[in-house]
Amino acid sequence: MTTQAHKGKRSLTKTLGNYSFILIFAFILIAYLIINAGATTLNGVMNILRHSAVVGIMAFGMGLVIITGGIDLSVGSMLSLIGGLGVVAFNASNSVILTFLTVVLVGCVLGFFNGILIGKVKMPPFIVTLATMLIYRSVAQYYLRTLRLSIYNMDATLSAFDSFYDFGQYKVFGVIPMAGVIMILVTVIMVFVSTCTKYGKSVYAVGSNEKAARLAGINVEWTHVSVYTITGALCGISGFMWLAMNGSVDPATIGQSNEMYAIAAVVIGGISMSGGKGKLLGVLFGAMSYTIIDKIISSLGLDALINDTIKGSILLLAVFVQIAIPAIRSKFQRVKPAGSAG
Amino acid sequence: MEMLRMTGISKAFFGVTVLDNVDFCVEQGEVHALLGENGAGKSTLMNILAGVYTRDQGSIAFEGKTLEHVTVQSSEQAGIAFVHQELNLFNDLRVYENIFLRKERLTRLHTLDKKRMIAETAQLFESLGVDIDPTAMVSELETSKKQLLEIAKALHANAKLLILDEPTTALNNKEIDHLFSIVRRLRDDGKSFIFISHKMTEIFQIADRYTVLRNGKMIQTGRIADITPTEVTKLMVGESYSDADIYAARDLGEPILEMENLSGQGFENVSLSIRRGEVVGFTGLKGAGVSELMQTIFGVLPVSGGTLRVEGQTLEKNSIHRAMRNKIAMIAANRKENSILPDFTLLENNYVSEHTLSSKRPLIHKKQEKRRYARLHDLLGIKSNSDSDLITSLSGGNQQKVILARWLNTEADILLMDNPTQGIDVGAKAEIYKLILALAREGKTILVNTLEIPELQKVADRCVVFYHGHVQSVFEHSQISEENVMLSATNAINAVEGASIQ
Repeated sequence: MTTQAHKGKRSLTKTLGNYSFILIFAFILIAYLIINAGATTLNGVMNILRHSAVVGIMAFGMGLVIITGGIDLSVGSMLSLIGGLGVVAFNASNSVILTFLTVVLVGCVLGFFNGILIGKVKMPPFIVTLATMLIYRSVAQYYLRTLRLSIYNMDATLSAFDSFYDFGQYKVFGVIPMAGVIMILVTVIMVFVSTCTKYGKSVYAVGSNEKAARLAGINVEWTHVSVYTITGALCGISGFMWLAMNGSVDPATIGQSNEMYAIAAVVIGGISMSGGKGKLLGVLFGAMSYTIIDKIISSLGLDALINDTIKGSILLLAVFVQIAIPAIRSKFQRVKPAGSAG
Repeated sequence: MEMLRMTGISKAFFGVTVLDNVDFCVEQGEVHALLGENGAGKSTLMNILAGVYTRDQGSIAFEGKTLEHVTVQSSEQAGIAFVHQELNLFNDLRVYENIFLRKERLTRLHTLDKKRMIAETAQLFESLGVDIDPTAMVSELETSKKQLLEIAKALHANAKLLILDEPTTALNNKEIDHLFSIVRRLRDDGKSFIFISHKMTEIFQIADRYTVLRNGKMIQTGRIADITPTEVTKLMVGESYSDADIYAARDLGEPILEMENLSGQGFENVSLSIRRGEVVGFTGLKGAGVSELMQTIFGVLPVSGGTLRVEGQTLEKNSIHRAMRNKIAMIAANRKENSILPDFTLLENNYVSEHTLSSKRPLIHKKQEKRRYARLHDLLGIKSNSDSDLITSLSGGNQQKVILARWLNTEADILLMDNPTQGIDVGAKAEIYKLILALAREGKTILVNTLEIPELQKVADRCVVFYHGHVQSVFEHSQISEENVMLSATNAINAVEGASIQ
C-alpha cells in the first residue's frame, strides 16, 4: 500500500514531469527579463504573443498530428501557398470575410490532400508531407511568376485594406495584440477539443495503440485524415493573421523552417513523438519560449546566426528533462500499486 | 542404435516443477512423436535439449557421449537442430544467405563467394528434393518452403537430430505430404526426428514411436503401431478433474445470431444458429479458423460467402462499426496488442468504445462516465486504486476485466471472446468464467474461443469444434469432455476410421 506522503511526493514529481513546459517557459522568460532589465516594457512582453502567433497557431495542428503518431512537414509551405492565394483572393474580392474563408478553405484542401494519402492510402506521413512541402511552396512561387510579380502584395488602394490591416495591428484594451488574442482563442478551443470531446480522445487512442483503437470501433482512417485537415485549417488562420499583420507575402521566405519550429514547440510542450501522450496546452508555451529566445538574442545584440544554436540547445534540454525526470522517478519508486498483484 | 538418451530430467521455474524425473530416448533413424497437452512440459524438455534452459537434474547422452553443460552452440555443434514453430529465418535476406549466415564462403580476396554459395545451396536442395530458388528473397517464399528451408539449413549445419515443433500448422495437405516424404527419406538415411504435433492423423502417418508427457511427467513410451489415437488422447488428458460445478441450465431465447454457409478467410461453410442467452464454446487448434470466424462476425475481416444474420436481419456489408451498431462486441485475442490503450486511464479505456456509438453527442460528461464505470467496476470486481490510474498498472486479469467493462458499456448483446483467459492466472480465470455465466443469465449471448476444455465444461451450453476451417462436431453440454473435444479437434476420429486426412 502506498502511504499518503509517498503519494503526494509522487504526484509532485509527476506534475513536474507533465508540466515541464511551464518550467522551461518561466526560466526563459525570467532570463529575458533579467537580460533586458532596464528596457522591458509591457508592450515588449505583449509582443511575445504577437510574434508567437503564426507558428503557435499552426503548431496546435502539428500537436494533434504528432499525438496520432504522425508528422506534418508541409506546414511552412502550406502557409506560403495559403498566404499567396489569400492575397489574390483579397485583391479580387476586396472583402476581408471572403479572404478569411478562402485561406481556411485552401488550408483544409491542402491538409485534406495530405490526410487522404496518409490515412486512406496509408503512405508514411514523413514522406507524404515532405513531398507536399516541396510541392506547395513551389506552386506558390510558380503561380507568382505567372502573375509577373516578385511578391504577393495586397492592394492598399482597396477600400477594405485599411480595416484588414488595422485588424492585424489592433490591440485589445490597448495592450493585447490581436494576433495573440487569436492564438489564445485557438489554444482554448484546441485544449477543449483534445480533453473534453470524444473526438479528442479518439485522436489520443489512435496514437496510443492504433490496432486496439480500430478494434474498439474508432474510425482510424478518418481520424488520420481529420488531424491533417485541421492542421491545414489552422495554417489558414496563421496565414490570415500573417496577411493582417504584414500585408504581403514573399512565397520564397514566408514560413521558412516553420515546420521545425512547430515540431519543437510541440516537443517542448511535452507531447511525445511516439504518439498518444501529452497536452496541447504545452504547445502555447513551447511556441512562446522560442519567440522569447529571439528577443533575448536581439537584446543582447548577438549575431542572429547564433539563434538556431540556442533554439536547438533548448530543444535538447527540454527533451532531456522529459526523459530524465520519469527515469529518475522510476528509479526511486519501486512500490507496486495495489491491484497489480491480482 | 540409440542416438539420444535423456534420463531423470527435472526442471522447476520459480519453485514450480515443470519437468519431474523425465526419461526420453530417441533411436537413430526414427521419427519420434513427443505428445502432451499445452503445459505438459514438451517445449521445456526440448529447450533443455537445445541448450536454451539448463536442467536442474538428470543427464543427457547424445551418440554415446555425455553432454554436461549444454548451450545453444554446443547443442548445435553436437548435431541437434531445433526447427521452431515461428521460423527463425531472416526475411530480408536471400535463401542462400540464410543458409550460409555466419558460415559464409569467401574468395581469396575475402569477398563473398556468391557463386559458390549459390551452387552449394542448389546442390543441397537437389539432394533433398526441394524446389526453391537459392537466390529468392525469403520474404517471398510460402510458409511451406520456409519450413523446408529451415530443415535444409539445419542439415547443412550437419544436424543429426531435428526437433520439428508443430511443423504442419501453416501447411496444406499437399505441402504436408511433401514435407513428410522428405522426412521419411532423411530418416531412412539415418537422421532422427522429434516430432511435436497435436494432430493425431499426422502422428499416426509419420511417427515410428511416441512418448507422452502429462503435467511434467513421462507417462508412457512405445511403438505407434501398438496404440490407437483414442488411447493416445486418453494418455495425454489423463483423469481430468473439474472442481466445483458452477454450470446451471438456463432457458434460452430465440435465435439471435445465425450463420448460413458462412465463409471467410480461414473458414468455410459454417452454419450455426445461436440463441439469446446461450454460451457457446468455439474450439479448435491453431489454424482451425475460429479466431478468423469471430473477427468476421465483428466486421474486422470480410465475408466471402454465405449469410450472417443478427436478430433476423442479414448483415450485408460488414464493418466493425456496423457490428457494434448491431450490438456485437469482441474481446480480441492478444490483449496487449489488440485491446489495451496503454496511455489511457481505466476510465478512458472503459468509455472509448461507447463513444464511437454516441459520437452524435460530441462532449464527454465526466461525472456520468465515472458513474457508469463505477457500476461496471463493482459488477466485475475490478481491483484498482482509482479510475484515473493507467490501465498498464493493473494485473492481466484486471486489465481483461476493464476490457470486458469497455464492451458491456456499449450495451452489446452478443459478446465474442477470443481466448479471453490468455495470460491470466488461475484465480482470475475462474472469475472470468463466473462472470460469463452471470452475464448469460442476464440474457447476453456469449461465444468463447478457447482450447481450455475443462473451462468450457464449466460454462458452455454447447461446444463447436473446428478443424481446418470446418465445423467438425457440435457437443451439447453433457457431452463436452476433453477426450471428445480433442479427438475431434485433432481429427483423430478420421484417423481411427482410416479415412484420408482432410
